[in-house]
Amino acid sequence: MSHPITFPGFGLGLRSPHYQEFLEQQVPVDFVEVISENFMLDGGRPLRILDQVRQKHEISLHGVSMSVGSAHGLDLNYLARLKALAKRIEPLWVSDHLCWTRTSAHNSHDLLPLPLTMEALDTVCSNIHHAQDCLGRTLMFENPSSYLSFPEDEMTEANFLKEMASRTGCYLLLDVNNLCVNAHNHGFDPLDYLAQLPLSRVRELHLAGHTPGDIRIDTHDRPVCDEVWALYEKVISQVGDVATLLERDDAIPPLPELLAELDWARECARKAKQEAAA
Amino acid sequence: MSSLAALQKRMIASLVAQDADLSDCWSKQQQAGLAVYRNNYRTATIEALQNTFERTCRLVGEASFIKAAIHHIIQHPPHSWSLDHLGEGFGATCAALFQNDPEVSELAWLEWAMHGAFTASDVDRMHAAAFAEATASFEADDWYAMALRFTPELAVGVVTHDVIALWQQTAEARVADPVRKLDTPHAAIVWREGELPVFRLVADYEAAALQAMRAGANYGDACEVVLAECPGDEAAARAGTMLSRWLTDGLVIGMGG
Repeated sequence: MSHPITFPGFGLGLRSPHYQEFLEQQVPVDFVEVISENFMLDGGRPLRILDQVRQKHEISLHGVSMSVGSAHGLDLNYLARLKALAKRIEPLWVSDHLCWTRTSAHNSHDLLPLPLTMEALDTVCSNIHHAQDCLGRTLMFENPSSYLSFPEDEMTEANFLKEMASRTGCYLLLDVNNLCVNAHNHGFDPLDYLAQLPLSRVRELHLAGHTPGDIRIDTHDRPVCDEVWALYEKVISQVGDVATLLERDDAIPPLPELLAELDWARECARKAKQEAAA
Repeated sequence: MSSLAALQKRMIASLVAQDADLSDCWSKQQQAGLAVYRNNYRTATIEALQNTFERTCRLVGEASFIKAAIHHIIQHPPHSWSLDHLGEGFGATCAALFQNDPEVSELAWLEWAMHGAFTASDVDRMHAAAFAEATASFEADDWYAMALRFTPELAVGVVTHDVIALWQQTAEARVADPVRKLDTPHAAIVWREGELPVFRLVADYEAAALQAMRAGANYGDACEVVLAECPGDEAAARAGTMLSRWLTDGLVIGMGG
């Protein structure tokens, strides 16, 4: 079984408006992350582009449809396609979200929240074991953004993730923006959350923008806000050598704009680590 | 059913049924959150159909398209892991909703076929030279018994309107000109040249011959289909031209069943 490596690089999500630049130029990123489902295809241009980008960059696969929280188990066809893609790309790691997306009949195509119960934990761990066995690799799971919680909750999300990582051996992808969004939406202190999380299991951090409001929405359509940058500095000073990935999925700006934002992440990380070491 | 399964079933039902009253099952806090997920679901599914059927959307206008998309999503809620699969059957949905405008469903079918061809398997084509070499010593019986294998993305559909003009007109702007009805129904065939999905219109007999050979018929059977359309000499010439064009188009990937 392969494991996510320690890779303290800075990367961007690869999105179609920037394909040509990634093919024609030497884009100054340490890795790129792709949405796995966009390339779980039989053939054609998207896979050819991914192969060419792979020749120039390390790639991580980040999925949105594994649905490890589904009470109905995993989709074996999905896993087979993901396995084929991973074999083709040889990614740094394969990640998805702590969420569910579907029942046996319907797929919401959204990252839906789980009740934080022992029953859900058992389901998630069983599905993760299944996925890891099938894929032959240890996976990484992201804390999702969420807009509702359940009165049935028996533990915090951080404790749920801690127990999940302990039982399955999986690693964690900490999305700093999601943490910020959820702290607002559900009224908790993000630093308490970090104190409960097994930070040694974190291999990657995500940064993105969200839409403010009574309920904050994880829209990935704008630059990272100051509140998230401040939280990122706190996180990066506490974790070891982890990767940082900047995501933008809507209102995608020209590549230089994202590269400048990624440079800012590098600067924040450098400053935070320097201060932590002092 | 476990309590988790029951909750997930209830939550999906609340997302899919856009107008369902949530107050019985969900607290006020949860209702506010569910509204966000409902909006996400609706936006993601409609946008997925708009992205796949952008020309059909231009043809009918955005408001009509969104109504059709919502109807399709209610009738065929997404069940696959890929949003790309949501367009399956949208041509039939358009055929039912735009019964007086058959060009709408024809364009939707064509867009779906082109969409499928774009990411179909990469398969080596049989080049004309290889075909010539393989058939160099063929006798008449060999030609009659010859079977062909076709590229997997190949799609064939009947059209009654000038979809070539329609495809060009809907590339950017909404269609202003009336769509020309063809004198007789034709078939459109869709495949991929390199990385580019393409299509052309073919006569009925060619579509029938192509469909027959894809289903396992031999070349002799296909020639019989052509022969039913025209006299012997002309049929032989047409069958030869047809086969040659299949090869140059890259529709043929091999010989034998």
